[in-house]
Amino acid sequence: MELPEAMDERKRHRILMVSDFFYPNFGGVENHIYYLSQCLLKLGHKVVVMTHAYGNRSGVRYMTGGLKVYYVPWRPFLMQNTLPTFYGTLPIIRTILIREKISLVHGHQAFSTLCHEALMHARTMGYKAVFTDHSLYGFADVGSIHMNKVLQFTLADTNQAICVSHTSKENTVLRAGLPPEKVFVIPNAVDTAMFKPAPERLSCDEIVIVVISRLVYRKGADLLVEVIPEVCRLYPNVIHFISFGKTCVKVRFIVGGDGPKRVRLEEMREKNSLQDRVEMLGAVPHAQVQSVLISGHIFLNSSLTEAFCIAILEAASCGLLTVSTRAHQVLPDDMIVLAEPDPNDMVQAIKKAIYILPKIDPQVMHLRMKSLYSWHDVARRTEVVYDRALQCSNENLLERLLRYLTCGAWAGKIFCLVMIIDFLLWHLLQLWQPSKDIEEVPEIVLPHHQPEEMSQNFNEDQH
Amino acid sequence: METRIEGNPSPTPRKWRKLAYGGMQPGYDDNYTDESFLEEMVMNANVMKRDMLKVMQDSISISQYLCVVVLVVCVWTYTLGSTIGETSLLLLDAGLLGSGFLVLFLTAKRLSLNLLSHYCLNIGFFISGLYVLAPIYHTLTRSISSDSIWALAVLLLIVHLFLHDYSGSTIRPPGALNNPTLTSNISLNASIVASVLIASRLPSRLQVFAIMLFSLQVFLFSPLVTYCIKKYSFGLHLCFSFGLVTMTLGLVFTLHRLLFSLLLGLLVFVTAVCPYWLIKMQEYKFEINGPWDEAKLCFDIKE
Repeated sequence: MELPEAMDERKRHRILMVSDFFYPNFGGVENHIYYLSQCLLKLGHKVVVMTHAYGNRSGVRYMTGGLKVYYVPWRPFLMQNTLPTFYGTLPIIRTILIREKISLVHGHQAFSTLCHEALMHARTMGYKAVFTDHSLYGFADVGSIHMNKVLQFTLADTNQAICVSHTSKENTVLRAGLPPEKVFVIPNAVDTAMFKPAPERLSCDEIVIVVISRLVYRKGADLLVEVIPEVCRLYPNVIHFISFGKTCVKVRFIVGGDGPKRVRLEEMREKNSLQDRVEMLGAVPHAQVQSVLISGHIFLNSSLTEAFCIAILEAASCGLLTVSTRAHQVLPDDMIVLAEPDPNDMVQAIKKAIYILPKIDPQVMHLRMKSLYSWHDVARRTEVVYDRALQCSNENLLERLLRYLTCGAWAGKIFCLVMIIDFLLWHLLQLWQPSKDIEEVPEIVLPHHQPEEMSQNFNEDQH
Repeated sequence: METRIEGNPSPTPRKWRKLAYGGMQPGYDDNYTDESFLEEMVMNANVMKRDMLKVMQDSISISQYLCVVVLVVCVWTYTLGSTIGETSLLLLDAGLLGSGFLVLFLTAKRLSLNLLSHYCLNIGFFISGLYVLAPIYHTLTRSISSDSIWALAVLLLIVHLFLHDYSGSTIRPPGALNNPTLTSNISLNASIVASVLIASRLPSRLQVFAIMLFSLQVFLFSPLVTYCIKKYSFGLHLCFSFGLVTMTLGLVFTLHRLLFSLLLGLLVFVTAVCPYWLIKMQEYKFEINGPWDEAKLCFDIKE
């Protein structure tokens, strides 16, 4: 087994991030990879991102801070995933690994076929591999059973795994049959420089509740359909009277996001004649999320399942009080009102949130978020995982095959076969194109950017 | 952004808490696993304890329908062997139609003349349509050898039995909640194709018409009739099934000894071995639930 020379220097890692999901596509995983890479670059590591081509964006691109991105010319075929070919990506992954003198491969997201393939090839070539799981999965339906088997295959041989929450760790350990000590919990963070609260405190005469999410079943759009009219009924707009010494508050909703359930929400709005109290914005580009958030007082998240909800962090960073389902351990108890995914309970939670709202100071909340979540902290914690992964001993093919064999009566044997073929193909490639023929990229040291610039360039990078 | 909560720099580390915020907890690595790990996991929460007798009773529906199909095959065999003539077949059709209607109306909650006339009109259209099409069915498969027809018919019947909806009825009975599924529709179509294939082997047009009518009556409406009987009274359902099974076994016994023993074996397998097997397999049930599961909505989504 040959290993890049960069292995000797312990301090500076050379990391290849692999996922099907990266900018210009948008979502939690894309965000995570971008910010983590930026912060790792600042820590002095070399980071290269590999993803598939998006539209005509194919080839090598540079992003802020000298982040090099390989858009591999493979077309996505389903939900931004590349076609699983097992070995099709081996030559290009090998070339990138050698060209960039990579020491460690870090794959993201369990649905990403590119990530699974890259981790498999990387392990075959003797590189260390780390995997981050961003999602939760059940155990009952056919899709989950298949995904869990694929995950088991990949994780059987990765050196360390990272999960974004404690629930996610429990889930991953069960799904992939890993020892829990191999799984690290490193939550996502939020770019507090980008999500700043409104400079002036909004008046509390009219309370604005903001919802920003894709309007799909999993995000609890059906709960919103039940909750919004009930809240509007509890806080009627028309009557202003003094009762028990306090004025009745007015409540307005702003719903950002698009999806199949948008029709239902609009129907609900028509049926209850709430056109003046429920504003539907449609899809909100991520760059505008902050400006929508700061126009509200309370952020409402009704998700039915969530590995780690970044939207809550963004809202809290903008100084909004959050009412959420399924968001345990994400924020301190005084910054969030938790509810069960049940309409009555959510209405109660919103009532409670409106009651405690006057005590919330957005600026204080923002400062607290700054201390609680930071991508730099995430990068430092991930660095520890990389160190651990690199300390793992090198194993030969036989030892690795033995581990695969324990993955299941039939699956184990299939996994072994897949790995043996991969190993043979790799050796064939070595003969066909020896690694000394692959040109290595020269080192370019870019001046370090200031943290403020990261978020400024962030919006440019998306397009 | 550079700040990071370090906690108290006291020598004794704070107890580890299951939190996502605040960065790495002092004194604990990120892969720290404490005893609360997986404590919210629930195993086999929704497992239904099954009762042998109940499963056996439920399996009666399957053996009942199995017998219905075997009876149809018997009638086909007799017709092809010219044991049953055209007139007796037409009489059989009429008798089945009459008794079917009788059962439907006796088990219905309330009789309605409107529904009856609606049914009669539909049946009238159906029969006349079939009569007009009979010459086409008669010559439909002339160019295909008989062996292929038998093989195909057997295959289609197996598909039919395999995909049949034993719990409900593909023809939607009044008051049924669910729409028929795709598989039950495929099953129904397989049976109809099988009937057409068999009918096309018959010598006269009237025979083709009679056998088609018979097969369609049974395949389309017998699930409806048995469903109604079952809904009306479970005891009656059991008696009816028992009668049907005995009749079928008797008929098959006179036809072929080997087929008789095969059918008997199959019926025993369905009503006794399979339920026992199902209950035995319950102990391998391994269902995992936990906080990662998608929440179930506690209300119905009204589209």
